[in-house]
Parts: sequence; structure tokens; C-alpha cells
Amino acid sequence: MKYFTYILRNARRNPVRTGLTIASTSICLFLMMILLSFFAMSAEVASASRIFNRIVTMNANGFAGMLPVARVRQIAAMDGVVAATPFQWYGGKYHDEVMPFAQFGVDADVVFDIIDEFTVPPDQLADFKANRKGAVIGRKLAKDRNLKVGDSLPLKGDIYPVDLDLVVSGIYDGPNNRDLRMCLFHFEYLDEALKQTAMAGSGGSLTTEAARRSGNAGSIFVKCRSAEMMTDLCRRIDDEYRSTEFPTRTQTEEAFGQMFEEMMGDLKNTVYWIGAAVVVSLLFVAGNAMAMSMRERTSEVAVLKAIGFNKGLVLFLVLTEAVLVAGLGGAIGALGCKFLCDFVDVARFSGGFLPFFYVPWNTALLGLGVSLFVGFASGLVPAVLAANSSVIDGLRKVV
Amino acid sequence: MEGSPSIELRGVDKEYRRAEFVVPVLSDLDLTVAEGEFLALMGPSGSGKSTLLNLVAGLDTATRGEVLVHGRNLGNLSEAEITRWRADNVGFIFQTYNLIPVLTAFENVELPLLLTKLSRKKRRENVKTALRIVGLEGRENHTPRQLSGGQEQRVAIARAIATDPYLLVADEPTGDLDRATAGEILDLLELLNREFQKTIVMVTHDPLAARRAHRVLYLDKGRLVDDVTDETSISAAS
Repeated sequence: MKYFTYILRNARRNPVRTGLTIASTSICLFLMMILLSFFAMSAEVASASRIFNRIVTMNANGFAGMLPVARVRQIAAMDGVVAATPFQWYGGKYHDEVMPFAQFGVDADVVFDIIDEFTVPPDQLADFKANRKGAVIGRKLAKDRNLKVGDSLPLKGDIYPVDLDLVVSGIYDGPNNRDLRMCLFHFEYLDEALKQTAMAGSGGSLTTEAARRSGNAGSIFVKCRSAEMMTDLCRRIDDEYRSTEFPTRTQTEEAFGQMFEEMMGDLKNTVYWIGAAVVVSLLFVAGNAMAMSMRERTSEVAVLKAIGFNKGLVLFLVLTEAVLVAGLGGAIGALGCKFLCDFVDVARFSGGFLPFFYVPWNTALLGLGVSLFVGFASGLVPAVLAANSSVIDGLRKVV
Repeated sequence: MEGSPSIELRGVDKEYRRAEFVVPVLSDLDLTVAEGEFLALMGPSGSGKSTLLNLVAGLDTATRGEVLVHGRNLGNLSEAEITRWRADNVGFIFQTYNLIPVLTAFENVELPLLLTKLSRKKRRENVKTALRIVGLEGRENHTPRQLSGGQEQRVAIARAIATDPYLLVADEPTGDLDRATAGEILDLLELLNREFQKTIVMVTHDPLAARRAHRVLYLDKGRLVDDVTDETSISAAS
């Protein structure tokens, strides 16, 4: 601690160089945090869903496959099931928006018993259940679109050949690491619209598409009575429909979340390689700055050694300085990114791509650790050179 | 003033290797420096003055022969031991002061004290005492850039005496100073020698500086060519 003043003053010796080193480290780590958090956050959110005892059933062939809505009732009647709801993606356009927000057709009577981390004021929930055109939207979606209870929410069908004329019945809230940008509406309203289009049509493509899509639950969210029952229930559901026209794949909500991550294929590895490249380039930047700094201090190091600073102490002083500078960059970049994402709703700027975004603590600490490693590694060579430098050669200019 | 021998050089040779060439710098040098002596080393450039100073200060080792300080052969000490020995026993004064520019005068003087086990309070007292001795009270918070050359050299002297070493080595301590300021620095060195019994070994080209010493050694081509002790002879020779 008694050497801290010396270390700090040396780190501030050339403010421009130190500032640029800190800036380059912090900017690189900031960007790295964004990339890494995308995956870390998905994994964390998926694992956090464990406590809700939910499983998800979908067609064994994926989302494109049919999952008859009648199965919602059948599954709900199974032993160990608290409730089940269809969860059908609609994907309609709101006004002239290009990127749709998440819209799902659900069973209004039970959806908030299943997704029970979401809260809706009782009067709004009652209105939602009673109003077939009613919809409940997330707090952040309401804020983004400036929507209030009672507002009209017209959605133009994109993948579906029907439009929906929804009314905001309620606004749900929930933890910040859950999707607060969804719109949940009555599955029956969508299904009936599809049936009407199918029946009213004259056999054209719209009619065919409406007929094909009606009665499809998309996926089924199931609330289980206990965590112990989940695995057995998944097996029982899939066994029940194994030999049918539409076999199912049932998995925990956590596995369901991880499945989306797997859909990104090798992107995760690519991001990790980019991260590694960033670390290497940071090493060069910080190492160069530290080497330049030490080269300018050759005679000072010689003086220190002459007056009794031993090799180990010189090594410690130089390394600590390098770690301090890089660590400061890391703290600004990694922790700064974490706090920025905590306080600013950056998902708003993703154009609807992300429902929420935050930097998990383990990712932020990883970033800080990376910066400390960069500091240590970049300072190692200059520190060893300084520690082993000749006092006589260093003082030659002056002695 | 002068007591028992504190520094002894016996048959010291020093050579440097430059590629396949061996460059002799000091040859068969015998020297005794008494406790509390003020010794000046003079001679033309390349005569081996600084090399001799480095050997005495434990910065370099002899190729042959022995360098004994208080009976201890410096050649037998490990690198760590000699570093520790320097911290405890030697104060350095350089021609270009060699202060750490980012530290204040106080912090520069405190540097060698950081190597001791002294408490912060005690270090503070020592620094203040050293700065008072060199006449720089009230300048503690000035950085080297805010001080004149003479003041910088005073800070360097304060740093050299902060740990109360018995030996001060000075290499051209007045080389970068005007005559009046050089005189003040030499007065200070004399004071340290006289009042605080510091043994001083000083390399200088300046005859006026040499006249302040008790004894002047003249080196040429690595050999001791003259050893003058009486004041008249020093004045005449320099």
C-alpha cells in the first residue's frame, strides 16, 4: 500500500497515453460484453425459469409442424398438470412497423396462472378474460408504443391471412429478466378469424392458408404441480402422441430456451473467437503502451535499483501499474456496460429483436478478469526487462 | 575527523568485455578510505573514476581483487544482499539529480524510506528532517519541475541522507550547476561530512569542488597516479 502513490503517479505520468490505453480497453470490453451477454443472458434466463415448473410441448418436427389445439385440454387433464395454454405466435404488424413485437394467442383464463411471475391488476385481468378482443400487453411494450388500457391495438396479419382488431384490456408487469414486451390475446379470437376466412373463401391461397393454420396451438405451455414431476410428465405427453399424425416433443422451459440458443448454430463459437481476438489485440495495445512507458524510465528504474529496490519490487511496481491501467479500462468497459444496461433499457434500440437485455454479473466479472489478465500479461515483459536491467547501463547517462 | 579504514580496495582490476575485446578500466588498484573521510576522485574522461565509484557503492563488481567495506567483501554478496546493503549503507547523489519527476520533493525523499520498516509517521519525520538539513522546508509539495537545479540537487541530497547511510557517493554533484549554487551544494556536503560524519566519495572535474575534500585521488588510464592530502597541495594540484 505504501507504494500506491508511486504506482498511481507513474500511471498518470503521460495522461494522453494512459487515457488512450484505458479508452481502448474499455471500448473493446464494452463491445465484448454486449456480444457475450447475449448468450450468457439467454442461458441465465433459461436456467432461472427452472423455479416455475413449466414444460413446453411442440410438434416433434419443430414450430412449422401442427399441434392440434385439442391437446391443450387433453394435457391439462393429465395427472400432475396445474394448467395448460396454447401459445400461438401471430407476428402481425402494428401500424406501419416493420419488425413485429411478440404476439401470442393464449388461453386467457389460465395464462397468468401458468406464467405466474407476471402480475396484472385484477380488474384488468377480469376485463381481459371477459373481452374476446381483449389483449394484455407488457409494461415495456406499453411504454414503447405509448399504449394505455382501453386503447385500440390493430394488428395486420403477416404470416396469417387474418387481421386482428385488439383492445388493450390490461398491462402486465414482472421481473426485468422476463419478456415485458409481449402481447397476449385470446387464442379463440385468432382461431375463429382463421376459420371464418377459411369458410368464406373460394378455395384460393388465403383460404387454404387459413384452413391450414386454424386449430393449431403452435406450442403448449404447461404448469406442473412440482419440479419432480416435470421429467415424467414430458415423457408421458410424448408417449401419448408418439404414434399419432402429430408426434410431440416436450421439454422443460429451460431446455426450450436453450433450443433457441442452439438454433444460432456456430454463432456462439464465432463470437468467442472474436472475443479472443479482441483480447489479443488489447494485449498488443496495452503491452506497447507499457513498453514505451518503461523505455522512457530506464534511468529512473536504475536509480530505484541503486537506492535499494530489489528485482521483485521493481517487477511488482511495473506489473501493478499495468494491471491498474488495464483494470481501470476493464472496470469502465465491463462494469460500465453492466450498469448502463441495468439503468437504460437498451432493448428498446434493438428494433424489437430483443425483448430485454442486461449484462449478467458473471459476464461483467469475466470482462473485468480479462482486463486484469491483459494488464498482467502486457506488463510482464516490460516488468521482467526492468527488473533485470543493469543499474550501470541505466545510470550510464548520468553516472 | 578521520578514523579507522571503512573502505578498502585490494589489488582491484576491472575489465569490460566488448564483443571479443577486453577493455581494462582499472588496474591493480589499492585504496583505503577512512571513516568520515571526504574523498574526491579526479582524472580525465575514461580514467576509471565512475567505475571506481560504482565499485565502492556496490553497483558493480571487481573482475579481480577485493572491495571491502567495514571488513565485508562486497564481491561475496548475492545480488539481493548487495541491493539490501546499498539500501542500508549508501546514499547516491547524481550529476543530473535523477529525481522521479512525477513525485513531489517529499515523496522523492521518502522513496528509500519505503524500503524500511518505519511507520508512516516516522518516515514523515525523517523526510522533514532531511529536507530541513538541506534547507528545503516548505518545498515538500513541489515537483522537480517546480524547483531550480540547485533545489533539485538539494532534494537529491535529502533523498541520499534520508535513511542515514554512512557512505555518500556523489558523481559530479555540481556538474550541472552555476558556480554560486555549486558552492552551496558543496557547503552542504561539507556540512554532512563534518556535522553528521558521513564518509563521502565524490567524482568531480571541478578543481573548486575538489578543494573541499580532505583528500584527492588522481586517476589516469585506470591507475592511481597521485594521492594528495594536504590543503596546499590540493589547491596547487587542482
